[in-house]
Amino acid sequence: MIEGNAATYDLSEGLPVETAQSIQPGTSLLISGPPMAGTEDLVVDLLANGARRGEGTVVVTTGNSAPAAVAAVTDRVPEADPRRIVAVDARSGGGDTGGGSQTDAGATVYRADAPSDMTGIGVGITNGFDRLAETGVERGRLGLTSLSTMLAYSNREAVFKFCHALSSRLESVGYVGLFAIDAAAHDDQTLQVLKQAFDGVVELRERDGAREVRLGGVQPTPTDWVPLAE
Amino acid sequence: MSGTETPTVLVVEDEADLVEMYELWLAGEYDIRTALDGQTGLEALDAEVDVVILDRRMPGLSGDEVLKHIDAEGFDCRVAMVTAVEPDFDILEMGFDAYLPKPVGQEQLRTTVERLLERAAYDNRLQEYYALVEKQATLEATKRRVELANSEEYDRLTERIDHLQTEFGRIDSDEEFIATIQQIESHDRG
Repeated sequence: MIEGNAATYDLSEGLPVETAQSIQPGTSLLISGPPMAGTEDLVVDLLANGARRGEGTVVVTTGNSAPAAVAAVTDRVPEADPRRIVAVDARSGGGDTGGGSQTDAGATVYRADAPSDMTGIGVGITNGFDRLAETGVERGRLGLTSLSTMLAYSNREAVFKFCHALSSRLESVGYVGLFAIDAAAHDDQTLQVLKQAFDGVVELRERDGAREVRLGGVQPTPTDWVPLAE
Repeated sequence: MSGTETPTVLVVEDEADLVEMYELWLAGEYDIRTALDGQTGLEALDAEVDVVILDRRMPGLSGDEVLKHIDAEGFDCRVAMVTAVEPDFDILEMGFDAYLPKPVGQEQLRTTVERLLERAAYDNRLQEYYALVEKQATLEATKRRVELANSEEYDRLTERIDHLQTEFGRIDSDEEFIATIQQIESHDRG
């Protein structure tokens, strides 16, 4: 299954722990932390780091508009090729499903009907993978911001299964998945259950005004907490 | 479907020649039931049936109408619709699990049935996995660490979860992925 280091992903720019240097293709990570710890920012940072390396980017958004979600990546990496960026707009009332349109910047946008429209989100992601494959992209990162919104619209069981299925799909296409969740918005049991749909968990916390991060699940024991550069 | 039994396939098709051919192609691997019209097809359907090969265009009850009944009655079977044209995703939203464009070839029929059975197995496994993970989380939430360490139930649960984890395959095609999510969503609504 491991096909040499060249195939692995280096997430260590955004995630400064040693194990993040070589993440296997197809790995899905839950990015969990309280609201102020910047879980969604970290997801965008990790997507941007990939875009800088020429990897494909798929961003599924339940909060920001698609152009804003794309801009969050291109603001960090102005040299990123917009044709390698796809946004799936899963906001409520986001508009009609399907076909694919372009942002002014040249990224492709697909729409689902609402955060509860899992099939629509799945179709958008599928179209996104296909679109990126057409432009010659073989590696990429998918970010979803955020699972908390999806959990407000669908029950825990459905969201868990959706995450599991998406993880299984990512495994096949060899992308890395990054799924943000607001740890303060859900009870421990929900977090504990959802974790099991992923290969690992990135936890964020604030200590004395500084952000700290650790990575668990990829190795048997979690890494130590390390400071996160601002 | 339980793991050891021979899966049951129901063929609903108004052309007797085709029914005979499908039966021949699938013989040996599956228990086969056949029906020459929609009404008889519904009568032949019960909890034993794992896969339905359903012709869309039939006199009397059409394939679409049969499918509506199957959904309404909540049968846990997979439906491959035999159609004249190749549907897109929108048509997938009509609730069947696979389509077979006419004329159906032997290899295509066999792989479709196999694929639908695999998908059903994935859905069942995911259901079991979720149930176990919920149970594990409940135990973790209600028992202290030392209690968990001494709990045989917790041990068995963790073992089973670890084992199931290794049994999940990747989802290798767009079609499988979308069908899996549709199943999850319809289960959520149901």
